[in-house]
Amino acid sequence: MKNFPLLFVALSLSPFFSAVADIAPKKITLSDFPAAAVDEVVVPVPSEIFAVLDKLGNPNWKDQLNPAKARTPQDRAHTALLLGNVIAEGFVAVEAEDAEKVKEIGRQVLTLADAINVRKSVITRCKSITDKADMNDWKGVRAEFDGALQDVREAMDELNDHDLSQLVSLGGWLRGTEVLTGIVQKGFSQDGAELLHQPELVNYFDRCIGSMSSRLRKNPLVSHIRDVLRKIGPIVAENGDSITPENVKSIHDFTHEVNGQITAGN
Amino acid sequence: MKKSNKQFFIKKPLVLLCAALIAGVGAPLLRATVDDSISFAYEAALPYYKQGFSIRKDAWGGDLGVRERKAVSTQLFKGNTYWFLMATDVKGATLSVHLYDDKGNLVEAESWQKGRFAGARLNPKATGTYFAIVQILKSPEDRTAWALVYGYK
Repeated sequence: MKNFPLLFVALSLSPFFSAVADIAPKKITLSDFPAAAVDEVVVPVPSEIFAVLDKLGNPNWKDQLNPAKARTPQDRAHTALLLGNVIAEGFVAVEAEDAEKVKEIGRQVLTLADAINVRKSVITRCKSITDKADMNDWKGVRAEFDGALQDVREAMDELNDHDLSQLVSLGGWLRGTEVLTGIVQKGFSQDGAELLHQPELVNYFDRCIGSMSSRLRKNPLVSHIRDVLRKIGPIVAENGDSITPENVKSIHDFTHEVNGQITAGN
Repeated sequence: MKKSNKQFFIKKPLVLLCAALIAGVGAPLLRATVDDSISFAYEAALPYYKQGFSIRKDAWGGDLGVRERKAVSTQLFKGNTYWFLMATDVKGATLSVHLYDDKGNLVEAESWQKGRFAGARLNPKATGTYFAIVQILKSPEDRTAWALVYGYK
């Protein structure tokens, strides 16, 4: 026992001990991580935000459902945006527990995936969406929409369509943000408005578009979305507790308008 | 290195091409081992799924040297509880994941580390950008594949 402190010191100094010790520093300097080591932002699925809204109150999800049936666009960038938008709509339909709408969205996902050659990747998911909606297994349907989102993006990446894959995420975020602001507008609370504090995410989408091929960057819809992101960026960069009802309305108007263009087709 | 985006394989095609040329079948092998690590990460997430957490289908992964760290930035929302689960398929390796806010403060409510698995929980006090810092603490291999998944409720 007498030698225990000495042994402890020896162990502490040994490379082996230091290699296995898991002592998290209370503070780190994020700039120590080279830019290349900081990975791209993890894009949340709409249900992550919707889960908080459910805790904050009792939103009228049915009221948020988009009654318009989306038309399949001619160009692939537009289709990718619409696919993300429709999957986000699926999350809204799950919150609304509307089985028929969920099934209709499942079919739309399949049609849009077909239009950009990734149908095979989501056939099983879409069948599961229908089956689980029939059983009112909402947690299961939510997981299937999340899975569908990942599967189509993965399939696009495998086809070297990484830009289109980003547009799917962006389309989903735009629709999720429209719904979030729609709900927060109806019963403004600071906790609800704080959910819009997503500066890095907005910058990330802006950077994504900036790194796309010039053909895609010049696509009128993509270019318009970039303008919208640059208008939203300064608003969501505010501290969460300084986002005002007017800010929420502005973001809602921006996203509503752009989502209208996405769902209108060509 | 967002695995689902195949960032390692798609976003760095030149690096991969070189790696594949040098290592022959090295890239497919690495991919397999990252995929295996993802399976282990989901295994680590299973108890939390049973507790009602929704586990994201998206996963992040890559490979790291011993004591090398990597930051994954993520948007988290006040009001949710998050679990981040990390794993490797390399026997004998140990790793860690810890959660920091955008000012570099350690903000996790708890964390654990058990062999090839590690986890950290966070109840964000504010909505915003957070960083999961992943690290390989010990490994019998020079480069160790890892994967990270997260769940929320």
